[in-house]
Amino acid sequence: MAGSAVTESLDRLIHERIRLGIVSALAAEDGMSFADLKQVLKTSDGNLSVHARKLEEAGYIRVLKGFEDRKPKTEYRLTAKGRRALEAYLEQMEAILSEARDALERS
Amino acid sequence: MTIPTHEDREQAKETLAYIRRTMESASSFTAVSGWGLVGVGAVGLAAAWIASRGGDPANLRVWVPAAVVSVAIAVVSNISKAKRTDVPIWSGAIRRLVWVMAPALAAGAMMTVVLARDGAGYLLPGMWLALYGAGVAAGGEFSIRGIRWMGVSFLVLGAAALLRPDLGLAIMAAGFGGLHILVGLDIVWRHGG
Repeated sequence: MAGSAVTESLDRLIHERIRLGIVSALAAEDGMSFADLKQVLKTSDGNLSVHARKLEEAGYIRVLKGFEDRKPKTEYRLTAKGRRALEAYLEQMEAILSEARDALERS
Repeated sequence: MTIPTHEDREQAKETLAYIRRTMESASSFTAVSGWGLVGVGAVGLAAAWIASRGGDPANLRVWVPAAVVSVAIAVVSNISKAKRTDVPIWSGAIRRLVWVMAPALAAGAMMTVVLARDGAGYLLPGMWLALYGAGVAAGGEFSIRGIRWMGVSFLVLGAAALLRPDLGLAIMAAGFGGLHILVGLDIVWRHGG
């Protein structure tokens, strides 16, 4: 989605589709397993883990590793920083739409 | 802010729709009520017990009311869970689950009429289990993995009951009773309620 000056100003970290999906899903359902997230986002293991790691490194999500029925289980949670980032991103999207609406009314 | 281009506006709309879809999908992902399934399982066990006393494993006077009560329990429990977790009642997973299951359940109703009319009632337990399993396995695509595995297990139980109609009632008790209760408790444990 590279291109105009407007999109250049967005938070690149969650602008990417899978990462935006991870953050959005976790904002709605606190604490999702790797398998559940993979199903919601309809993506591959590799893709999900790469993008989840980037979000974890940025402090947007927290990864909890444990065991369930003796099988390793990875659970993801959204941090306060991640929630703020999503809120800011949503505001930017809404601002784009309202700016566009204003421009339309002026013309 | 720089004036957004037409492309920016379209992308923003599409992105907001994506966020909304993803949030809806995630939050209704666990919308299936575990306690509801436990209730449905209890009805299944009770129906199997009543049918065993009457000597007709597939007695429609037992199983049709049991099915009606089970649907009522499923509806009420899912609505109350959706309200409690602040998820729209008729959206996301539940809506898709119902639409995907409906054809298999409708086929089951048609087959019930024909098999009962033609004196092939001994095939009913296997057919009910298999078609219910087909519907649940397909619907499980939109919910937690436990639901899909429950559907596949029902299919296997259906095959067993079709091969061994003499064990039909015991297999129905295991499926409509035991399996519902086990999966229901698993959902209660993992996804809260």
